[in-house]
Amino acid sequence: MSAENEKTVYESACIRENPRSKNEIVMYGVMLPKHMPIKLAAPRWLWLTLALLLALLLLPLAAPLFYIYIISVIFVTALLAMSLNLVLGYGGVYQFHHAVFYGVGAYTATLLITELAMPAWLAFAAGPVVAAFTGLLIGWFCVRLTKLYFGMLQIALGSLVWVIAYRWYDVTGGDNGIHDIPMPEFLMSFQGAYYFILIITVVCVALMYLILNSPFGATLQAIRDNPERCEAIGVNVRQHQLIGIVIASFFGGVAGVLFVALERSVFPGLLFWVLSLEILVMCLLGGWFTFAGPILGAAIVVALRTVASRYTDYWTTILGIVLILLIFFLPEGVMGWARERFKPRASKADQGGVS
Amino acid sequence: MVVDPSTVASLLLVGLARAMILFIVAAGLTFVLGVLRVPNVAHGSLYMIGAFAAFSITDAFGNNPAGFWIALVTAPLVVAAVGLIIERALLSHLYQREHLMLILFTFGLMLILNDMVKFVWGADYRSVTPPEILDGSFTLFDFAIPRYSIFLLILGPLVALSLWLLSNKTRLGKISRAAAVDREMVGVLGINVSWVFAAAFVIGCLLAGLGGALVAPTTSISLGMDQTIIIESFLIVTIGGLGNTWGALIGALLFGVSQSLGLLVLPQFAIVFPYAIVVIVLLLRPRGLLRSVW
Amino acid sequence: MLRVESIYKSFDDFMAVNGACLTVERGALVAVIGPNGAGKTTLFNLITGLHKPDRGKIIFEGQEIGGLAPYEICRRGVARAFQIANIFPRLSVFENVQVAVFARQRQSHNLFQPAQKLARAETDAILQSTGLESQARRVAGALSHGDQRILEIAIALGSQPHLLILDEPTAGMSPEETAKTMNLVQQLARARGITILFCEHDMDIVFSVAQSIMVMRHGETIIQATPDEVRQNHQVQEAYLGGADA
Repeated sequence: MSAENEKTVYESACIRENPRSKNEIVMYGVMLPKHMPIKLAAPRWLWLTLALLLALLLLPLAAPLFYIYIISVIFVTALLAMSLNLVLGYGGVYQFHHAVFYGVGAYTATLLITELAMPAWLAFAAGPVVAAFTGLLIGWFCVRLTKLYFGMLQIALGSLVWVIAYRWYDVTGGDNGIHDIPMPEFLMSFQGAYYFILIITVVCVALMYLILNSPFGATLQAIRDNPERCEAIGVNVRQHQLIGIVIASFFGGVAGVLFVALERSVFPGLLFWVLSLEILVMCLLGGWFTFAGPILGAAIVVALRTVASRYTDYWTTILGIVLILLIFFLPEGVMGWARERFKPRASKADQGGVS
Repeated sequence: MVVDPSTVASLLLVGLARAMILFIVAAGLTFVLGVLRVPNVAHGSLYMIGAFAAFSITDAFGNNPAGFWIALVTAPLVVAAVGLIIERALLSHLYQREHLMLILFTFGLMLILNDMVKFVWGADYRSVTPPEILDGSFTLFDFAIPRYSIFLLILGPLVALSLWLLSNKTRLGKISRAAAVDREMVGVLGINVSWVFAAAFVIGCLLAGLGGALVAPTTSISLGMDQTIIIESFLIVTIGGLGNTWGALIGALLFGVSQSLGLLVLPQFAIVFPYAIVVIVLLLRPRGLLRSVW
Repeated sequence: MLRVESIYKSFDDFMAVNGACLTVERGALVAVIGPNGAGKTTLFNLITGLHKPDRGKIIFEGQEIGGLAPYEICRRGVARAFQIANIFPRLSVFENVQVAVFARQRQSHNLFQPAQKLARAETDAILQSTGLESQARRVAGALSHGDQRILEIAIALGSQPHLLILDEPTAGMSPEETAKTMNLVQQLARARGITILFCEHDMDIVFSVAQSIMVMRHGETIIQATPDEVRQNHQVQEAYLGGADA
């Protein structure tokens, strides 16, 4: 789509028919099919998912260690991106500093192990809980505001957490972080860590899927579309947003714990705002109105980083260019694009009735 | 704890001087935010480019003191030129998008600009020596007062004043203020909003570049210097009220002074004080101290 | 069932609502009319909690509701359709109504049951009674303007309101759509016993449908009476019906 064309589309109104395709509408600059895709997974998707899972379970038998490690990184990052998308893409909340909850989860688990010598499983369980509590605290202040104000306030509050981790040398190791964190035996090998991460990620993704397809998930999406209207039908918007933030920060915290399990180290970069924006990019890249989009986005970013940084010192330029191209040409992300691209066939089948 | 008044005074001076640079950078950010409603994440990178450009220009003049003054004028212009190109080529096509897209666009810009700085100037530390008239310090009532701090303390209010004149006394300023409130209306009036936005963005870049050029003699110039300034100016803009220049001034003063006075109390945690102040301000006034322009 | 007693609301220096009064009896169809800027929408915003009144009382079913949050007022039985189509554009038509039903059933905190299987019967019933059932799977943002306005009403019905407030339900509609909408409104009032309060520019509609009419001007109530009485009132004729809108 040319930039000129795009501009005229946005200037007039939020919603209009896509002039070039009768099956789509353009909404806030995003193209959508006129008919909703089926919400719960259709059987063929279920089989595909199961096949993929089986392949992932068998993978360590065949793949070299390096690939196992990279795929583990993708899982952790994907979980992080999905947890953000829960409130961002589905909730319309400007969660600009999601990395804080990732970092808090990771630091909590680490400090409980190194400072208090807690058993690892207990520390791992505490990470997400503390992250969720941080989400409650930060979110409680932020939900009083909307959109950009919300985002800026969250950056401010999140930066305070970052600066504490960055400066409190005695406890957090300051900008050096903490390394060689002792781990239980089964996590000491890449394979062990891989299976641990795989299982937890799958469980979390399934839970998020349930939540997004529940009445709460539907309400969250309604709030994203039109918060004023939601108030008028009897929804306490702020309360729902806050619950969404707590859930998202819980899963963000789980991702943080998985990071510790994989890398056995923490550092302030985990809760730095740049990482928050990177996760946002992953959601955008994969498609932030799709469920699996963030997984894809995370996979692309991690793979790109791994490959590109072998050949060049300037891999962030590549990311920047990809990002800008994306904003101009694929604002609905890869998954959104794919959904639109392969839509006509499915939408005919949908027209039948009320499913 | 015994506090030496001269220590307090000199720390206060350091804080105020720092606040002036923060103000100039944050004023650019808040100006763009107010008119365009774009939170420019690349603002810190533009500031860094300003600092490196100032280094290259003074370096080209060798030991000639005129070099610094020329750099002070040209470095911001270089940054403004970069800004103009970015605005016309890319950003101007995106104004109707959501905030989220705009913030991500500027993030992409930041990634690219930072790599470009690395490509052009490398990863070494650089420094700029100010001309003799601004170097060293003079003594007043037994206090050693760095000349450069005084220079900054004069320049900061001057920038504030010119921004005020710009937005209240010029046609451009009036239009851009109106555009901040209601851009449709300005468009209806037959004004080419697109160029108003371009001008606002360029002014923002100019201020980022000026901040970079001014900070050059006080610090070592290096990659990564954008990361702290951008987060600090974001916070300053937020506590000042989005788009409010005077708010940015108050925020910068709070930020700079609390950090330097924090050195007296807890040297290791001095950096935490301004953040804590930001949080306290925002808990009391979540929309900032002064009224946001929109 | 609803009593608004000399209510005031100002924005900066502008008195939007200046001592308006309104009474709505159970089961009635009440219209609010007045020239543009008379404060009709502001009055509705005050009743539904979008704005807090400066002074005055809003009593609904014997309880003061002035200044409550919109969601609390909705839960007490006041639902509203807005002047501009105010729907959930990315959700399907079905989900638009379903979300309102969830909110009423206090199900919106339900985290782990699939939404698809819940509140179906009630949602389907509402879609049928509003004639939207054939569009149920469409993205709401893709509906025609007229259908979006009807969806507005359908969403409001999801709250099972005792009192339904409609802000210019036929604005921007074609004559056929207007007739269809007003039929629907009257049918809702009769079949479901919902009390309806609406404002409308089209005087023919107002005088043929409403049982009681409140006339507003400059934020004040001129009169509230039956259509016949309103027609004969001198003040109203001078202030309003003599104007271009008559």
